Amino acid sequence: MTNKSPVLLCTCGKQLKLDYDYLETEISKLDLAGSVTVHDFGCQDSGLETIAELIGESEARLVIAACTSQKIQPRIDQYLQSLGKDSSRIAYVNIREHSAWVHKDPSEASKKSLDMIRGALARVEDSKSIVSETKEIPNHVTVIGGGIAGVETALSLSNLGYRVTLMERESSIGGHVVQLPVIAPTGKSGKEIFSSRLKALENDKNIDVMTNTTVKFIEGEMGDFLAHYISPDDEDEKTLQTSAIVLATGFKEFKPTMIDEYHYGKNPDVVTQLELSRMLTEDRMVRPSDGKPVNEVVMVQCVGSRSEDYKRDCSKLCCTFAIDNSLEILERNPDANVQVVYMDIRVPFENEMIYKESRERGVDYIRGRISMVWENDNTTHVRIYDSLLNQYLETTPDLVVLSSAILPSDGVAELSETLGYALEEDGHVKDLYGKLRRTETRRRGVVAVGAITRPQFVFEAVTDAQAAALVLHNELHGGKIEKVARGAVLNVDDCVGCSLCAQQCPRGVPLMIEQTDAEEEDEAQKILFKAAIDTLNCHSCGVCQSLCPSGATQLNFLSNSQLWSEIEAVLEGADHEYPITVCFYCEECSVSTIDIVGTQRMEYPASSRLIPVPCAGRVSIIDILKAFEHGASTVMIAACEKDRCHIGGTGNEIAQVQIDVARDILNAIGWKGERVDMYRMFSAEPDRFTNAIREMVKRAQELGPTPVHKGTAGKWMEAVE
Amino acid sequence: MSESKSLDDMAPKRRRMMDMVLALGGLKEESVIPLSKVSEEIANLKSELEPLATEILAFPDAYFEHFLDATEKSAIISRITNKGLLKQATSYLQQAVSIRDTGGTRGLLNSMSSALEVLETKDEIEDTAAVNIESVLSPVSDLIVQIEDIVTGYEVAAEAAAESAHSELKSLLSSMSEAVSGIQGDPTSALDALQKLGTKTRYGPFLRTSAQVKRGIREGRIDEKRALHLVSENILIELRRGVIMFILSKMGSRTVVEISRLMDSHSSDIQAAIVSMIQRGEVEMVGLDEDAPVFSRVLETVPDSTLVFKRILQQLNGIGKSLEGDIHAFVDQSVRRMEFLLERLQKLGQYDETTLAEALNSLRETVDQATEAVLQSKPADSSEDLRLLVSAGLEAFARFRLKIALEKGPNLVSGTNVYGEKLDPEVYERMMSSYLDNELERGTILILIRELGAMTAKDLGEKTNIPKDRILQHLLRMKRDELLTSAGESHGYLLYDVPRTPTEAELAVETASSLALQLTEASSEFESLLQELRAEDIGKVVNALDVLSKGRDKLVKLTIEGNVVGKEILLGIEEKIRSAVSLSYRTRTKIPSTRPKVTLDDLAEVDVPSVLDEYKAMMGYAPLLGFGTIEWDISKCLGCKSCEIACPEDAIELKPVFEVSKIFDISDEALDNLPVNRSLFYKTVKGLATQKPTRDIVLADDSPGFGTVEVDLWLCVACRTCVRRCPGPDEGALELELKWSLPEVVRQITSKH
Repeated sequence: MTNKSPVLLCTCGKQLKLDYDYLETEISKLDLAGSVTVHDFGCQDSGLETIAELIGESEARLVIAACTSQKIQPRIDQYLQSLGKDSSRIAYVNIREHSAWVHKDPSEASKKSLDMIRGALARVEDSKSIVSETKEIPNHVTVIGGGIAGVETALSLSNLGYRVTLMERESSIGGHVVQLPVIAPTGKSGKEIFSSRLKALENDKNIDVMTNTTVKFIEGEMGDFLAHYISPDDEDEKTLQTSAIVLATGFKEFKPTMIDEYHYGKNPDVVTQLELSRMLTEDRMVRPSDGKPVNEVVMVQCVGSRSEDYKRDCSKLCCTFAIDNSLEILERNPDANVQVVYMDIRVPFENEMIYKESRERGVDYIRGRISMVWENDNTTHVRIYDSLLNQYLETTPDLVVLSSAILPSDGVAELSETLGYALEEDGHVKDLYGKLRRTETRRRGVVAVGAITRPQFVFEAVTDAQAAALVLHNELHGGKIEKVARGAVLNVDDCVGCSLCAQQCPRGVPLMIEQTDAEEEDEAQKILFKAAIDTLNCHSCGVCQSLCPSGATQLNFLSNSQLWSEIEAVLEGADHEYPITVCFYCEECSVSTIDIVGTQRMEYPASSRLIPVPCAGRVSIIDILKAFEHGASTVMIAACEKDRCHIGGTGNEIAQVQIDVARDILNAIGWKGERVDMYRMFSAEPDRFTNAIREMVKRAQELGPTPVHKGTAGKWMEAVE
Repeated sequence: MSESKSLDDMAPKRRRMMDMVLALGGLKEESVIPLSKVSEEIANLKSELEPLATEILAFPDAYFEHFLDATEKSAIISRITNKGLLKQATSYLQQAVSIRDTGGTRGLLNSMSSALEVLETKDEIEDTAAVNIESVLSPVSDLIVQIEDIVTGYEVAAEAAAESAHSELKSLLSSMSEAVSGIQGDPTSALDALQKLGTKTRYGPFLRTSAQVKRGIREGRIDEKRALHLVSENILIELRRGVIMFILSKMGSRTVVEISRLMDSHSSDIQAAIVSMIQRGEVEMVGLDEDAPVFSRVLETVPDSTLVFKRILQQLNGIGKSLEGDIHAFVDQSVRRMEFLLERLQKLGQYDETTLAEALNSLRETVDQATEAVLQSKPADSSEDLRLLVSAGLEAFARFRLKIALEKGPNLVSGTNVYGEKLDPEVYERMMSSYLDNELERGTILILIRELGAMTAKDLGEKTNIPKDRILQHLLRMKRDELLTSAGESHGYLLYDVPRTPTEAELAVETASSLALQLTEASSEFESLLQELRAEDIGKVVNALDVLSKGRDKLVKLTIEGNVVGKEILLGIEEKIRSAVSLSYRTRTKIPSTRPKVTLDDLAEVDVPSVLDEYKAMMGYAPLLGFGTIEWDISKCLGCKSCEIACPEDAIELKPVFEVSKIFDISDEALDNLPVNRSLFYKTVKGLATQKPTRDIVLADDSPGFGTVEVDLWLCVACRTCVRRCPGPDEGALELELKWSLPEVVRQITSKH
């Protein structure tokens, strides 16, 4: 059995200014290198054929030194997969964007390329084949919530070929939408909007609608969720097996009973905007207290919204709702007088038109607040403070309508306890990544649509629903999902049960399982835990690996020993005469930034050595210290911007901790802490990277030889005070 | 530490310790309730009490008007011959009048003062005349028969009461089993139901335990599972004890088998309950029914008549030994009958002493006379001491014992004892003189108390010139011999009295006058508290209302010539007082009590293990498991924070301080013991270092994997959870050392910070 791996050097059409002869000779000398092949077009058909041949040479191990893997890897993977060959053991070295294009001196660039190829050879030597198995799962999705978003998702999923169970807590489908007299910007009523969907739902044999059904909790993983629910005909809890969950429980209107000045709940003529909508829909526009006609209406905006005490942000919908409803009132009673007391009118998109229309139709807008509502002789009195006129107005309306805040519906937090999705501070479901993955939640196989994530207009909820259906389809593949792929794999025997992985995993994948059997036998009455990691749910950031004290959890494509031998190999021969800066970079924002630096041919010192990691959170303090141990003069981590870690948000913060502690330790043990640092970057500002690397190279030169270079490292016992 | 802290400044753990101490003492301490809530509760209470207050405040005055009428009509005061009692009564009434001068109390005071004057002027000394012993003792037989009849009457009445209690017991048991069946479904409401039953049994430990558990559930300290367990086990056991107490107090003494039949539960359960009740001093064994022990409630005080009867019995027994022939057989027979009677009285426990008074007093007089007669029929030698005592008119019984001692004593010097030993005449002299001194002093004390009423050691010291310590010694001795009983206190001194069998009149006057004072004090306090009700006064309000309520209950039992005085007034006020009491109790449980002011120094005296055990026994759990110190070993720590997460009290914390120098001191062996990456990390650091760090690294933020474990001993309850959870090598990085000495722990805690 050989541990040598073939190396393919691509010249990119002979345009890379590297010394290929030097590289070929030097690589051939390396213990771990097998054959060395120089190819002009690795990405073209002939190159792909060569790669396919090379793959056969050494148990699918191969190092490809070419352009950025972002570009070339998908092509090669696809090609090899079509031939049924394993592409999981290929290591890529970017000698184009990361070397040839950014360094003036070809010999320096060649040396850097050689070092990085040596590193890749070390990494690939110990790599394992990652076989992705597929798993058959039920072709079934459960939608919780029968409002517009839930119904739309159910219909879309059914169209994609899934069987769907739609669970609704109330006795009928339709949610809030069917109660709205008019839906902006269509001008149609909620019932009208919903009726076609209701018909489609009735005719759809793939959708099972369950009303009066409450979901208690859900356990399991994507492909094998078990929903526990209670239905009306049976008191016992029932279960339903399903492959994915759609959260569509919508919103709840804030009931301002505790805000004394509005007298809501005490005076029947004080209603919320949604209650008014219901009155309009049911066509009973009379005073709730005595059934007399409604002529004077005062509407109050931002009740509970934009308030530190109740809901801090804007509820987005209420202004449009209020305007719609005032127009509706005027439609039915042209003599009615509607006053809207507001802080700011916020009507997005084309809703601006109805705002204008309402002003033309005579709706009176008063900027200010209501100071109090009271009753006298069966009349409702309202005192309004007009902040533009700086005076108090008093009126006696027939109806006071409060535009109440939009809150997440009840039970969202309870469900999250077993379902494991994250929540925003205000109780809405948190999306996976605000910019790019809006409908996904932290938990794989669970999507959130409609107002459960934030207040949404009907058309937004519908778009959301359609998007979420596609996102789920992408995951479920119609019932065939990948079982084991790239990700963290736990060796349970090595796990000591410290729970650091479970505490810090950005996706909450590791679960701590109490070992009750072992506890019974334990003489010291220890409370024993072991982690359990479902690789299926892992997003491969490596945070658990970085923190694990026993090496029990490791990424199956980048083990500790792989990275440590890569570090050692990259730094072979590093000394103080040519001080080396090691840069660990994440394969999210940082690789994009560094690649763009390359394509823009921005120059930076060639004494840098780049080592890829899936996420900055993968870099442990041991990795950093290992780099110094093997001769690095400075070490940096390139990571995503703060709060923009693409792997769920906290990988870069774990990296920051490693850097900070490493710096403190270096200072404490007689080194210079400045030898290590962390830089955040994103592709739109490539000079963040060049500035960072220049700074670290400068420090490497200024700080001079490290104790490792000087041979004093580890001699602390001889050191005199 | 010497400076005293109030309860509010106390560390949480201290507070919990205190809580336990207080809970055992029946008090509660809470302070988490916001001030606004407190004021709200107080305001509510005030508005609820005010409509009740007028009538409650008016009732004592109205009652004593009636009482005065009744005493005048029946002339009971003039029938009282006990000067001590009258003196005491007048002093009570004087105090009451000084607080509030009302017609009823003032009138009572006047008539009692004049009765006392009359009594003092006609003080006469009766000569004792020589009498024939047989004729003196002849009425004894009749008197015993008479008493036997009365006691049989008591027993019939007790049986009837037991009968009526039977149906009450039945309903109690059926609602109990109903509540029990609901425990599994909903322990909280089952607890409510049980609590209601508990008030019927009036068994203190149950009421306390259930209230504590309820509070624990409300505050979330007791989880559902635990609550279920507590309600279905501990609470139920306490309630069972309560029912036993109900049976013993309402249906009289019983054997275990009888109780188990009554309660329809297994006798082993009852046996277990009884055993713990004996340990708590609530139940005692009073006799045997064949082979089965008969248990009775421990009475706060044994009825004086029982004590008197016992003493007469002893006296008669003593006389019998000095007699010969028929009269000896007669006395012997009487003694046997009386012994049986005594046992019956003891089994009865409480009974209406007044009906027994006449017969018992005659019996006592008869036996006293007989003792005199025995003394005279066998005149002693011309012993100075004996003469002195006899002429001093000492207590007959005491004199009798003295006479025997003086007669037989010289034999010890002249002859030998059963072991053939002789007594040194000098020793005998010394022994005899100290014995005589003692008897003389005790006799004097008894006479004074009998004539002048209950007295304290201080009063006796002033009257007799006997040194105080000796008086105290005599009093204690005579109390143990049941020659004296304690009769309350005066100015902080215990009052001692001879056992007396009170007549109805005496009982009425005594009770009424002492209640007059209590009720006047309580109502005037209640009135002034209510004017501006403050949270810190809630305890006083509760106490005042309690006094009013209990006073009312006592007055209802008070009769003059068989009739309850002012029945309408008392019944009319019953509900009002009761609801006022329960309202204020309810408020008190909701707001923090302001007493007692416990200091840290007080706590240092607490015997920790016993408090913990007692609390656990009562509640089934203890919020505080102990006091201890926790040692942390960095060489085994993974910085994983599991201890902090697991700690139920937030007492342990991973602080962002990395004691980097310490890892240089970890032995290679210990390093190899660590999980592999942890060990590699330390070895790498050591391999890179050019110097040993001198200072700790203070980290800017919490850093997973790094830190120093610190334990706040003020919070730690020594539950050992952290030690058990620590995933470090071997036994883990933490070690708990339990310490029981509170001052020692306090020193540890304070030395660190």
